[in-house]
Amino acid sequence: MTATLTEPKQRPAAPPKPRSTGWRRRLPLLPALFFVILVTQIPFLVTVFYSFQSWNLVRPGSQHFVGLQNYVDVFADSQFRGAMLNTVVLTVVCVFVSLLLGLGLALLLDRQFLGRGVVRTLLITPFLILPAAGALLWKTSMFHPNYGLVNFVFGGNTDWLSAFPLASVMTQVVWQWTPFMMLLILAGLQGQSKEVLEAAQVDGAGRWRTFASITLPQLSRYLQLAALLGAIYIVNSFDAIYLMTQGGPGTASTNLPYYIYQRAFEGFDIGQSSAMGVIVVVLTLIVATFTLRLMFRTFDVSSGVK
Amino acid sequence: MTTTLTTQRTSTRRPGGQRFLHWVAVHSLGIALGLMFALPVLFVLLTAVMTDQQALTADLWPREWRFDNFATVFEAAPMLDFFVNSVLYSVAATVGMLISSIPAAYALARLRWRGSNVGFMLVIAAMMLPPQVVAVPLYSMWADLGLTGTLWPLIVPYLVGDAFSIFLLRQFFLTIPQDYLDAARVDGCSEFRILYQVLLPMIRPGIAAAALFTFLYTWNDYFGPLLYTGTNEESWTLSLGLSMFRNTHKVDWNLTMAATVLTILPVIVLFVFAQKTFIRGITFTGVK
Repeated sequence: MTATLTEPKQRPAAPPKPRSTGWRRRLPLLPALFFVILVTQIPFLVTVFYSFQSWNLVRPGSQHFVGLQNYVDVFADSQFRGAMLNTVVLTVVCVFVSLLLGLGLALLLDRQFLGRGVVRTLLITPFLILPAAGALLWKTSMFHPNYGLVNFVFGGNTDWLSAFPLASVMTQVVWQWTPFMMLLILAGLQGQSKEVLEAAQVDGAGRWRTFASITLPQLSRYLQLAALLGAIYIVNSFDAIYLMTQGGPGTASTNLPYYIYQRAFEGFDIGQSSAMGVIVVVLTLIVATFTLRLMFRTFDVSSGVK
Repeated sequence: MTTTLTTQRTSTRRPGGQRFLHWVAVHSLGIALGLMFALPVLFVLLTAVMTDQQALTADLWPREWRFDNFATVFEAAPMLDFFVNSVLYSVAATVGMLISSIPAAYALARLRWRGSNVGFMLVIAAMMLPPQVVAVPLYSMWADLGLTGTLWPLIVPYLVGDAFSIFLLRQFFLTIPQDYLDAARVDGCSEFRILYQVLLPMIRPGIAAAALFTFLYTWNDYFGPLLYTGTNEESWTLSLGLSMFRNTHKVDWNLTMAATVLTILPVIVLFVFAQKTFIRGITFTGVK
């Protein structure tokens, strides 16, 4: 998180002026600030409150305080654990694969070749399609056992969505997100300092060496940003699962957002679904912080090269 | 720039034949990967103009080009209404976001107090909440107000502030040197006049990026309309309408695909015009 969220260099200590006048001047801005903090936090606080209640809409008047019981139940729920595992697998694999593919494609597009503009446009298209349309497109035109393009190419009549539900969903998500990663990394590549690359060449660094010791460290911030933004959205994947597999067969491709949705809006269990929501938020924060720290360290080792 | 360098190098080192092979390799790799990503889209485009019988076969190339499928879609479903709802949702949300999030972002960027970083972290945390998590309390609130089934529950949250946009705009505000503000203050500008007359023109790229992001997110949103507009077909947006269209016209593959094509077009047009802004916007959020 550090890299992405740290602010640009702190301004040199504000010119010493009496604090009070500064605050009086800025007073009109305060309501905006309180407002935004309230508005973004209230729904979450209410969710936390609900998570301590036993409350099922199917049984009116059943609402009462149960302390941590919901959390105990949720952790004992094997479906929840399955959904949690699916979410982790989905997020990690999709972010990683689309980042890798995006890097490869960006490196390719950073070179001059005939028809580059056309290839770039083709590559970006998946990102511009409504995710709902993309999910339907993959469900029907790609994975359909009889008419799907995948079976047309590879032969056979596998029903991909029931045989490999999670992998199918992940394929669609990677397809959708690779162009985004590619765009970001391409922006990073094109912002590289020319002088450094030239210097490396003069010093006799090979192409691979140049990439590993100069390009990659320079790209690390872009890669982190791409991973962070991608992870925020992919953790929340809902459309693809809802439209392609409905979380099934069974719960084979259920992820947490979909499971919460099911429990709240199909099972009407407000208490437990709220508890799950709280757990998701805590986990997301932990995973995001951890992953970014890790990436930061991995890429920063060789950043001695300016 | 990289490219010119590398080509120079290869030309000094490699004999002509090898250079040609290299050229072929790069091109075929590019074309193959490009096709891999575009193939599903091309497939949809082609199926969209097939006859309904041929669409159910494994054929790739239309025997007969039925461009009237696009017109038929408009008769088969209120596509135009879906489109209007989508535009309404996206435009209203974008405008609302700008009105609410600019002052909030400025406040977060300029007001420093002991807990200002905590405040900022809270906004970031809100950004990462899966919408499903807070859907329960929000939904019950909108149901109490009798507004489910309309677009209001989708739009109003943007009128009170959007965490991601606030984050993005704040990053842009932070890039403005303090000197400008001090100069304006010396000239006796009020904090709001500074914001609207001095700062806004300076962060125009940031505003454009935030607007574009909000527009894309709302345009793509599926969960929101699914949850709040529910069974009221009159409020459906394109993404919801499309999935419902598929349910009712399961056999008319060509029409389903034609409908899909119609939903893709507006965004592609928008992106072609706004590509630069968009990229500058995403890279700015964290890289500066």
